[in-house]
Amino acid sequence: MASQVPLLKAEDLSKRYEDGLLALDHLNLEVRGGEVYCLLGANGAGKTTTINLFLNFIPPSTGTCFINGIDVTRDPLQAKKHVAFVSENVMLYGNFTARQNLDFFAKLGGKSGLTKNDYYQVMRRVSLQEKAFEQRVKTFSKGMRQKLGISIAIIKDAPAILLDEPTSGLDPKAAEEFLEILAELRKEGKAILMSTHDIFRAKEIGDRVGIMKEGRLVMERTREELQYEDLVKIYIDYMKSEPLAM
Amino acid sequence: MTRTIAAKEIISNLLSYKFFIVLLLIVVLVTTSFFIMHRDFRNRLSDYQVVRPKPGEPIALVAPNPLSILAKGLDEAMTRSFEIGVTGITVRAGQKTGNVIFSFFPAPDFLYVVRVVLSLVALLFGFDQVSQEKETGTLRLMLANNVSRATILLGKWLGNFLSLAVPFGLVTLLGIVLLTLDPGTRFSAEQIGRLGLILVLTFVYVAFFLSLGIFISTVTRRAASSLIILLFIWALIVFVIPNLGTLLARQVVDVPSVRALSEKRQQVWTREVLLSLEEGRQAGVRGGWAGHIATINEEIDRLQEDYRWRFDRLVRLSKNINRLSPAASYVYAVTDIAGTGISEEMNLKGEIVRYKDLIIRQMISAIASDSPAKEYPAFGYRPRSLGSIFAEGGLFDAAWLVFFNILFFALSYVSFVRYDVR
Repeated sequence: MASQVPLLKAEDLSKRYEDGLLALDHLNLEVRGGEVYCLLGANGAGKTTTINLFLNFIPPSTGTCFINGIDVTRDPLQAKKHVAFVSENVMLYGNFTARQNLDFFAKLGGKSGLTKNDYYQVMRRVSLQEKAFEQRVKTFSKGMRQKLGISIAIIKDAPAILLDEPTSGLDPKAAEEFLEILAELRKEGKAILMSTHDIFRAKEIGDRVGIMKEGRLVMERTREELQYEDLVKIYIDYMKSEPLAM
Repeated sequence: MTRTIAAKEIISNLLSYKFFIVLLLIVVLVTTSFFIMHRDFRNRLSDYQVVRPKPGEPIALVAPNPLSILAKGLDEAMTRSFEIGVTGITVRAGQKTGNVIFSFFPAPDFLYVVRVVLSLVALLFGFDQVSQEKETGTLRLMLANNVSRATILLGKWLGNFLSLAVPFGLVTLLGIVLLTLDPGTRFSAEQIGRLGLILVLTFVYVAFFLSLGIFISTVTRRAASSLIILLFIWALIVFVIPNLGTLLARQVVDVPSVRALSEKRQQVWTREVLLSLEEGRQAGVRGGWAGHIATINEEIDRLQEDYRWRFDRLVRLSKNINRLSPAASYVYAVTDIAGTGISEEMNLKGEIVRYKDLIIRQMISAIASDSPAKEYPAFGYRPRSLGSIFAEGGLFDAAWLVFFNILFFALSYVSFVRYDVR
C-alpha cells in the first residue's frame, strides 16, 4: 500500500536544451513509498530527461525535483542519499568481480562495514548464480549485469529508486525475474520510478502508468483504471496523434 | 570517499594488463638506463684518471659527476680537459669519452626515460579516466550517489598517481641502491639529498601529465578521441616546443659560430706573432713578447666575453621559450639539481677563465723575467651547493612545474563540474 508522503516529486519541471529543444514541458509527478510508477513513451519523449533531472545530471530550466522532500537542485548531495539508480545498460567495472563492484558502490552509497556474506545475501536475493559472485563482471550477460545493478540499488537501501529502461534487451525470463524483485521492493515501501518502452510489463508492475509525448505527460492511469482499459491501444493512439502544439 | 575511489582506481589498475605492461616497461627501462649510464660514467671516470693533470700542469679538469648517471646533461662537456697556454684555453684534442652511440641517439639516462617514456605512461593512465567511465555508464552510477565531482576527480587522480609513482619510485630506489654497491659510484650525503629532490621533481612531472590526461578526458566524450589529442600534445611538449624554442631564439639572438670565434682568435694570435717578429727584426732583440701575450689575452678575452654575453642571451631566451613545455622545465630543474645543467657549466667556465687569467699572468711575468715558470697552481672547482643553486633561480623551474600541475588539475575540475554525464 502506498504511503501518503511523496518520496519523488516533480513540480512544474521543464528542460529546454541549449539548442532550443524542449525535452520536458511542465511535468508534475509524484511517486509515493510502496508505489511503482512507470513512464512510457517513445524515444525522445522525455523519460530519461526526467530521471536525469532527478539525479541532478542536468539542471532544470524551470521547476523543481524533490527526493524525500529535499530540493535536488539546492542540495543534490543530500538528496542523492535517498535515491538509488539503475540504468539501462549497467556495464560496471569489467575487471572487478560482482562482489567487488557491489562493495565499491555500497561504500559510495554510504554503506561501510558490510561483510562478504552481506554482499552474497543481496546477490542471492536478486537470483544471481552463486558461482558468479566472485567472477569478473566482463564475463556477465546483460541479464546478470542488470541483476547486479539492482543489487547495488538494494544494498544502498534508499527509500526511492530510479530505473531507466532496466528491462530493455533482457530475455523474457530475466525481465520477469527483474519485475519480481521490483515487486518485493515495492512491498518494502520503496518509491520506484521506472522509464520503459515495455507496455506489457508496465501494466503488470505499475501502480500508476504515465505516457509521455514530446516532453509532456499526456496521460496517467492507475492500476485500477487499467483493469478496464487497453493500455496498448491507449499508447498507440497517443503515439499516432498529431504533434502537440508547443 | 576519496580513499574509496582511489582504492578502486588502484585495484582496477592492478587487475589490468595495462599496469602489468607498464610495470615491465618501467623495470626494463630504468634498470637498462642505470646499467648503460653507469658503464658510461665508469668509462669517463677511467678517462679522467688517465688525463688527470700532473702537479704543476696548467690544466683545468673536473671529475665526472656520479649524478650524471641519472641526468647526464652537460657533464661530458664539463669534464673535458681545458689546457691553459699563452693562446688561452684549448680543449685537449681528440678527447672523446663515453659511448659513441650517444652521438646518434640521446643518452638513455633516467632523465630521458622520465621525460619521454614515463610522461607517455602517465598519459595512458589519465586519458580515459572520465570519458571511459562515461562510455561504460559507471560515471552516472557513481554520481547517482552522495559523492561530489571534486571527490571523484581527486580520488581518481590520487589512485592513478599512486599506481604509477609507487612502482616507479621503488624500481628507481632499488636501482640507486644497486649503484651504490659499486665503490666507484659512491654518492655523498649531499648527493643523496639531491637524488631525493630529483625523485620528488620526477613525481611532480609525472603528476602534471596525469592531470593533463584527466583534463583532456573531461573535454572529450570518447576515450579514443582523448588519446589522439593527448598524443599530439605529448609530442608538442616533449619534442617540438623544446626544439622550437632553441631555433626561435637563434633567429632573435645573433651568436657567432664556435668556428668563427676560433678564426678570430687565430687572427689575433697571428697578427701579434707577426708584429713581434717585425719588432724583433727591427730591434734585433725579442724583448716585447710578453706585451704581445698580454695583448693577445686581452683581445681574446674581449672576443670571448662578447661571445659569452650573446650566448648567455641566447640561452636565457631559449630557456624562457622552452619553459612553455613542462618537459623543458623538468630537464632544467633536474640538471640544475644534479649539477650537470647549463648554469653549472657556465659557472665552471667562469672558474676556468679566472684560472686561465691567473696562469697567463704567471706566464707573462715569467716571460718578462726570462725565467719560464715550471709549476702552476692546480685548478680547483667546487660545484655549486644546493643552497646557491636555489638562490640563483634553480627553484624557478620546480615551481613552474608545480604551477603547471595546479593549473591542469584546476582545469580538470572546472571541466568535470560542467561535464555532461548523460
